[in-house]
Amino acid sequence: MEHISALMDSELNESQMKQHLARLKKDPDLLNCWDTFHLIGDVLRGERVLSVASRQSVSEKLASEPTVLAPRRRAPKKMMTYALSAAASLSAIAVVGWLAFFNNPLAPPSEIATAPSNPPPLAAPPPQLASVPSDGTMNEYLIAHQEYSPSTTIQGLAPYIRTVSGAQAATGQ
Amino acid sequence: MMASASRQLNYTGTFVYRHGNDIEASRIVHYVNAAGGEFEKLETLDGPPREVIRTNDQVTCYLPNTKTVLIEKRNGRRFPALLPAQLTSGLAQHYTVRQSGMGRAAGYDCRVVVLMPKDRLRYGHEFCAEASSGLPLRAKTFNEKGTLLESFAFTEVKLGGQFDRDQVQSRYAAESRSWKIGRAASPSADRPGRTGWVLASELPGFTKVRESKRSIAGHGTTVSHLVYSDGLAAVSVFIEPLPKSRPPRSLSHQGAVNIYIRLVADHMVTVLGEAPAETVMRIANSLEYRGAPGQ
Repeated sequence: MEHISALMDSELNESQMKQHLARLKKDPDLLNCWDTFHLIGDVLRGERVLSVASRQSVSEKLASEPTVLAPRRRAPKKMMTYALSAAASLSAIAVVGWLAFFNNPLAPPSEIATAPSNPPPLAAPPPQLASVPSDGTMNEYLIAHQEYSPSTTIQGLAPYIRTVSGAQAATGQ
Repeated sequence: MMASASRQLNYTGTFVYRHGNDIEASRIVHYVNAAGGEFEKLETLDGPPREVIRTNDQVTCYLPNTKTVLIEKRNGRRFPALLPAQLTSGLAQHYTVRQSGMGRAAGYDCRVVVLMPKDRLRYGHEFCAEASSGLPLRAKTFNEKGTLLESFAFTEVKLGGQFDRDQVQSRYAAESRSWKIGRAASPSADRPGRTGWVLASELPGFTKVRESKRSIAGHGTTVSHLVYSDGLAAVSVFIEPLPKSRPPRSLSHQGAVNIYIRLVADHMVTVLGEAPAETVMRIANSLEYRGAPGQ
């Protein structure tokens, strides 16, 4: 229980958490999934990787939690399959899978309803301003931005190559 | 397998960055020492020499041809730990995520993951992650027409290895002491807080993940910095007082990053991110100053 709390405390309020735990308890697939992604969350934050044993004890403690609310819907099968298979590897896949898990099965239904469901019209109005290659004056902004971009977690330092790319270094400043 | 796949993974390799008609090769070294310290070095192999060094939370860029050092130091948690749970309408809602079988990169088998955007506000992505460690060996970004905008691909990589501090130190460490130093931010100068700037209408899926007043290297005044993310792409908004010479409205790009500059209420607004020009411009165009109570 405490491990899951550690993961969720900063991000969910109590009733949301209880709701999620109730769902986990009812659905062994989801629980397995949760277990996996709980671990991945630790890994992504650079925290100590939990042993299989302690994760099992999390599952056992979960099983003894009282059910607060009945699950409203199951996670879509496709996403579940994806999420489970992502357990085999971490990093890029894990980031993607972990977020996909967070962003889908546990999402409040009301937020989903606001998202566009139809594909956008084909004739998108093009930007009226012609785009030119950056002249190297954006380096400082790019570096500041990069630290908060998910691509940095997925790819490490590699995206910084944009910031110091040859064309910029040659013509900039 | 899980334990070995943590961020404790050490690796060294050569990767190729391709954007537009340009191709550049770089050397990258990533180490985590016994105490959990993270060290990373990126060194370009083509064109003018350049280096980027990460030591835990500090990133230092060495640009020898202009004798410049840029330092970005940050506090706080790294993505995705900083993602609020409210970012629920993100990835799965706005991308179709699927595994696309096995691929091969740098001599390793890798799993291909494809993220297709469901609207035109974000780009498509394809990752190929090494089968046992999960290290991304290849990453591609596509626009709405399916055109490749940029790609990162290891041509050679060695997984595992011992930590060697020398390998993650800059060759310019000594001579750069006389270079111009741009110190982007100190931890005390980049505190989260309200800036008074808001988006009149938020873009679908893009949630604010960061708001702070900070310093930016080479910019004398405090800059307001807001970051919006859909879980995969991020867009930064920088707001500062007008410089002496009024900059024209402009749109530019660097790889998959689009950059848009406009003026709002006697301020210069710079919006950039690895998202389509439309996304960057719409965020910029809906920016408003509503004042910051209590400041």
